[in-house]
Amino acid sequence: MKKYIIIVSLFSVAACTKDISRFNEQTKSPGIVPASTLFSNAVKGVTDGLTSTNVGINVFRLVVQHWATTTYQDEPNYDFSTRNIPQGWWARMYRDVLVDLKEAKRIIAADITLTDATKKNQTAIADIMQVYVYSILLNTFGNIPYTEALDFNILNPKYDDAKTVSDDLFTRINADIAALSITGVGFDAKSDLVYGSLSDVARINAWIKFGNALKMRMGMVIADVDAAKAKTAVEEADKNTFISASDNALFKYLAITPGTNPIWVDLIQSNRQDFVAAATLINKLNSLGDPRLSLFFKPNDVGAYVGGISGTNNTFSGFAKVSDNVTVTNYPALLLDYVETEFYRAEAIERGFAVTGTAEGHYNNAIRASIVYWGGTLLQSDTYLAKPEVAYTTAAGSYKQKIGTQKWIAFNNRGYEAWLEYRRLDFPALVVPATAKSGFPNRFTYPANEQTLNKVNYTDAAAKVGGDKVETKLFWDKN
Amino acid sequence: MTLLAMLLVLSVVAHAQSRVITGQVKDEKGNTIPYASIGIKNTVTGTISSGVSADANGNFKIDVGSSKLIVVSSTGFKEKDIAVPTSGSTITIQLGTTSQVIEEVVVTALGIRKNRNQLGYAAQQISGDDLSQSRGSNFASGLSGKISGVEIRQGNGMGASTNVVIRGNKSLLGNNQALFVIDGVPVDNANTTNAASATGRVNDVNARPVGGYDYGNAAADINPDDIESVTVLKGAAASALYGSRAANGVVMITSKKGKKGLGITANSGVTFGSIDKTTFPKYQTGYGAGYSQLGYSKSIDGSPNVGFWWKDAFGTGSKSSVVPTTEDASYGLPFDPNIMVYQWNAFDPTSPYYKQARPWIAGANNPFAFYETGVSTNNNIILTGGDDKAGFKLGYTRSEEKGVLPNSKLLKNNINFGANYQVTEKLTAAASVNLTKIEGKGRYGSGYNKANVNQSFRQWYEMNVDMLELKDAYNRTKQNTTWNWADPTNNGVLKPIYFDNPYFTRNQNFETDNRFRYLTNASLNYKATDWLNIMGRVSLDSYDEEHEERIAVGSVGIPAYTQYNHTYRELNYDLLATFDKNLNDKFNLKALLGINMRRTINNSTFATTNGGLVVPGFYALSNSVNPLNVLPTDEVAEKIAVDGYFAGITLGYKGFLTLDATGRVDRASTLPVNNNTYFYPSVSGSFLFSKFLVNTPWVSLGKLRLNYAEVGNNAPWGSLSDVYFKPAAFGSATLFSIPDTKNNPTLKPEQTKSKEIGLEMSFFRNRLGFDVTYYDTKSIDQILPVAVSTATGYNSKYVNAGTIRNRGLEVSVTGSPIRTNDFSWNININWTRNRNKVLSLFEQSTNLQINQLPLQGGVSINATLGEAYGSIQGKTWTNVQGQPWKPGEQKLIGANGYYVITGTTNNVIGNINPDWTGGIYNTFKYKDFSLGFLVDVRQGGNLFSLDLYYGMDTGLYPETAGLNDKGNPSRNTIANGGGLIVPGYTADGKLNTTRVENISSGYYGYERNPASTYVYDASYIKLRELNLTYSLSKNLVRKINPIKGIDVSLLARNLWIIHKNLPYSDPEENITSGNIQGYQSGAYPTTRTLGFNIKLNF
Repeated sequence: MKKYIIIVSLFSVAACTKDISRFNEQTKSPGIVPASTLFSNAVKGVTDGLTSTNVGINVFRLVVQHWATTTYQDEPNYDFSTRNIPQGWWARMYRDVLVDLKEAKRIIAADITLTDATKKNQTAIADIMQVYVYSILLNTFGNIPYTEALDFNILNPKYDDAKTVSDDLFTRINADIAALSITGVGFDAKSDLVYGSLSDVARINAWIKFGNALKMRMGMVIADVDAAKAKTAVEEADKNTFISASDNALFKYLAITPGTNPIWVDLIQSNRQDFVAAATLINKLNSLGDPRLSLFFKPNDVGAYVGGISGTNNTFSGFAKVSDNVTVTNYPALLLDYVETEFYRAEAIERGFAVTGTAEGHYNNAIRASIVYWGGTLLQSDTYLAKPEVAYTTAAGSYKQKIGTQKWIAFNNRGYEAWLEYRRLDFPALVVPATAKSGFPNRFTYPANEQTLNKVNYTDAAAKVGGDKVETKLFWDKN
Repeated sequence: MTLLAMLLVLSVVAHAQSRVITGQVKDEKGNTIPYASIGIKNTVTGTISSGVSADANGNFKIDVGSSKLIVVSSTGFKEKDIAVPTSGSTITIQLGTTSQVIEEVVVTALGIRKNRNQLGYAAQQISGDDLSQSRGSNFASGLSGKISGVEIRQGNGMGASTNVVIRGNKSLLGNNQALFVIDGVPVDNANTTNAASATGRVNDVNARPVGGYDYGNAAADINPDDIESVTVLKGAAASALYGSRAANGVVMITSKKGKKGLGITANSGVTFGSIDKTTFPKYQTGYGAGYSQLGYSKSIDGSPNVGFWWKDAFGTGSKSSVVPTTEDASYGLPFDPNIMVYQWNAFDPTSPYYKQARPWIAGANNPFAFYETGVSTNNNIILTGGDDKAGFKLGYTRSEEKGVLPNSKLLKNNINFGANYQVTEKLTAAASVNLTKIEGKGRYGSGYNKANVNQSFRQWYEMNVDMLELKDAYNRTKQNTTWNWADPTNNGVLKPIYFDNPYFTRNQNFETDNRFRYLTNASLNYKATDWLNIMGRVSLDSYDEEHEERIAVGSVGIPAYTQYNHTYRELNYDLLATFDKNLNDKFNLKALLGINMRRTINNSTFATTNGGLVVPGFYALSNSVNPLNVLPTDEVAEKIAVDGYFAGITLGYKGFLTLDATGRVDRASTLPVNNNTYFYPSVSGSFLFSKFLVNTPWVSLGKLRLNYAEVGNNAPWGSLSDVYFKPAAFGSATLFSIPDTKNNPTLKPEQTKSKEIGLEMSFFRNRLGFDVTYYDTKSIDQILPVAVSTATGYNSKYVNAGTIRNRGLEVSVTGSPIRTNDFSWNININWTRNRNKVLSLFEQSTNLQINQLPLQGGVSINATLGEAYGSIQGKTWTNVQGQPWKPGEQKLIGANGYYVITGTTNNVIGNINPDWTGGIYNTFKYKDFSLGFLVDVRQGGNLFSLDLYYGMDTGLYPETAGLNDKGNPSRNTIANGGGLIVPGYTADGKLNTTRVENISSGYYGYERNPASTYVYDASYIKLRELNLTYSLSKNLVRKINPIKGIDVSLLARNLWIIHKNLPYSDPEENITSGNIQGYQSGAYPTTRTLGFNIKLNF
């Protein structure tokens, strides 16, 4: 019998092992991180998206015909589905940016080491970035998931009406601006990738100006559909936002990888030759004798500024290319700047909003600031502004045409903003390529995976925006 | 080769001695027994040398030489040893019938040997000789076509991984590969190829700068020469005792064991490989570099040919025509030897063509010339020995493969040692160790990747380039002197734009890797009584591997060095008690009780240089241009524990009814503590009905099998609680992000349920037999990261969801149509038909994308509700109503004369699953010759070819430069009789008549055709293996002491693709193993191998 006892005890020894769940611990990734690291990541995420030239990420330079491509013509011909561009843009904003900002806010709220004022400041700054990103989504797609977004318990978030979301974003930006106070601090200098070089107090004031610049942009976007709301927003923002280029929201890329500007990565580091200047922009700059021509671009191999035709093959050596200023490793990106607030002020005055100054004055300020920003001189800008086709009083067309044309030039290298303003102002006329796959894109179609992963809500939203097509105009795009 | 020399010497000294015996074999009643086997038995070692067969009347004739003993056997009769009569030469032999018809023993789960007649589930066994005789280096690929229910997909790359799926894909996103078990010990079969290269694509942002090699899977470490037999347990009932990992079926390997007496077997072989031209592109030879015949210069500038650049090439002030080297396509100007033009090598100062304009003609050597002859050598020796108490084996194998690409080599060294010793009458100790070292250099780059030369050869290339001139250029300069200059006339800076010189790629940007693996176990076996046996065993599967990848300074890509280190340890502790007792004369009881504790450690680190290399040619992390510490960490430290408790009972009644039941409880560390234990049972029965068919003697065996089983499975490691993801730091700012997948602390175990029914019969004394099995498995509550709307902030979330059903039919037929003294023919047919269906997915979702990273070409591989797992989705044509096109409908042509393509990318345009697969294996023996060949068939299933999607667009293939309906070259301008009409219908239902130009890229390929155009039928019929063996005449060999046998073989693999529908490629080729199949990009051509092997038995 003894041997059976031994056997039984052998089995029972083996059966008694300790708690094994400790094996499942994830020791190489943290479970707790500072909120500022998520905030920094979100700011970098949205900036990379707006700055990239990669045709899989950001195609807006091609859409607004600032640039043309040499060989691969899908995107200049408005084919955005081959590379699933709407899906990437949407995922970047929700998955890589907004959810990190939401998480940052959650951590801030739970952080017992922060004073109330600092908590409020950090929450407001994170929320301003959320508003910034949501307005990009709104202006790209139309109706979007909002009230049910960013919740892992709601896997099929409904799409909210774009105007309703827009109204809520105004409420939020107002609250955020009001919440910012110099009695507390914001994110630390290292983590604030926009205003980190400023002192604690100056940083809070800078974010107040940033919030107002964003509010001004949001106001102008709805000017054609909700003039009253636009008027209030722009007038309030006018007094509290950028007054010079030193207020610009700059994201300062680094000189060494991987913190370098994506433009350098795409154009220089890659060795590729995918892009040339588009004829649409080059011809306009040439015809205006614009001093920014040689600042935006460098000439072709024989020293001439020739632009490539959008949507057709263009031999690299035969056309003007992005200037060497832009393709340095640490070329900064602009999130919001004085040039655009001045253009908005000019337009606001034309729309009868109570903004100080004259439309012409702000128009001139904007162009001057743009030329100087790009490395030109005040003298060059004065000469330029004196040209009858540039001078506000003599330039052709309505205020929309004057401002639209100059804004389109000033927004060189800021493809998304140029696309936004082109849809608002409808100038200058862009020629749809002969081989285009559709009419001019007024929006992106919804991501392909929404059609399968969130089908009911997708179908509903597609019908409500007026059809899930690129030609469909967004709610604020009335003209 | 030394063995060959030895053989020659020995055969010279051989001389004959023979003694011929004739006889007849009869049964107890005196009736003759036809076709019995008569062999010669060694009286000392007990080994049997293959002998002769009796004829239809039981008569035989055998040369016994000096042997003293012969052995006679025939199916259905007891084997009998007969002493060779000291005098006389004629004998009559009588055999007694056995109680059962056949007594085949099958190795089943946990290494338990069972009588085949008692099995209630499908288990197919194949001998090691059948696997290793074709001398492939990965034994798993040798299973193809030889076992029903098993689908093998093997890549064509050197050492490429082999995909082994049994009875269809059961897991939506998890592992679907079969479990490999050697002598009861599970062996890790991970494919450590990184995720980016598994999809054939390296992402542009934050991606690993290097990647795209198929490192093979770890089962390749198993030495084919050490395999005694392989049993494939296909269904859950057969494998339930192995626990969770066996839900996908088990490939069970029994290794060779020590035998009484001394035995030595040696093999020496060499094979030569060359690529099969039918699996490589044919190229058009009429047109050269460019995407268009127009547009690279202007005639008003004085350019005589606008299809060329018109440039001051050498700063002389005068312009001339230059090939547009940036244009990686062949839609340029037609070749014309009267046109003189500067080619890519006119700019290479070391080139004999430096500054020389040359005639505009097709390159004399196309990329086919890049491929070399592969040479593999394989030498193996195995020594076995033993006496009454102990036995051992010692084996050594060295195989070296030089691939068909330059600078490729794979070296495997393997040592096996195993021993057992009977300590007391009841206690036996055994241990074995298996050491493998694999060293790779220059594995083939895979997928859409610069490391894969086929990305260019099949998709982006200029037909004016001469491959051997590229070879000369590389050999001359050792620099990246490429055909694809960014702009050679630009300030004298020579740099590549998209593609490196392929010789530079292979010789400078090569990878190296090594894996050192121990498979070892030690066991004690205690036979407590004649009916109780207890076994304890500890086993370790352990390997360490290192991958190093390089991008040299001067390449298109950012110069880099990456290093991946991976450590894997799996410890299994087993305790197993088995009972076997005849309860009375009717009932037999077998039972088992066991514990298995598994502990797995999986650690790896991945590091890469940042921003380039400081010193060219120096490959170390310290040679990074920028600091490493800001890069994303890629450290893995996973630990998994699973404790299993199991029991089984087998009840036999009178030898014809068998009932088998098992149960297992697992406790897994990867599940939530309160829900980490799960039970799963199996029950199976078999009925040997031939026992009652005494009046139908032509039925040798008839058996019915029936079973039901469940297998539980746990969650992937680290899928319960959330952690943060760490992207690259931004300067001094540390960044963290919410990961893309949301974990779930409420997961529960997943389950596979299966039912199976089978019928086995054999006839005419086993001259003909079949085994038919029908199965139905359902995998439910799968644990998977289900894709969710990214508006949630995540790509996916871990949930329990989804049901996949696999139903199928497996048929194996064996036959011996001819069996005479001198000649025999054996045939073995395997046929499998699996029907897979996705029955449910998560909540309202109707589709689950299997590829997590996007695939080039806008296609995806999916689990689509109501479809078979692996639907290919992408853009397709529209019908004249503007809806997605369905087969049989008219395709809509738009106003521009081209197809109207859907905007949606979620149209199902194919499915990767074959309709059926099968294999026919024939063996012919004539005297001392044997000929075996395997025909392997796959019918149906689709694949998407990115190679043709792009390569047709760039005008590489002959189709793009054919004649049009008017009989003129289609690449002429329409004005000149060229152009083409897209076949289809206009919106009003009329046949399209709009003629469009074919002078630029666009008519063919991706620009104006949907992805569905490049979905192909993946059927094939292949002559997979062919072996011709000559066993040196016994009379001759016997004199060459100590040699007992010499076999000389001629071996061939992949000799002939008898049929396929995919042009220019092998439909079986894949990027790597895993769930993403049915997608080709930069496909490797099939390597045909032909070789010799000599096998010596001592």
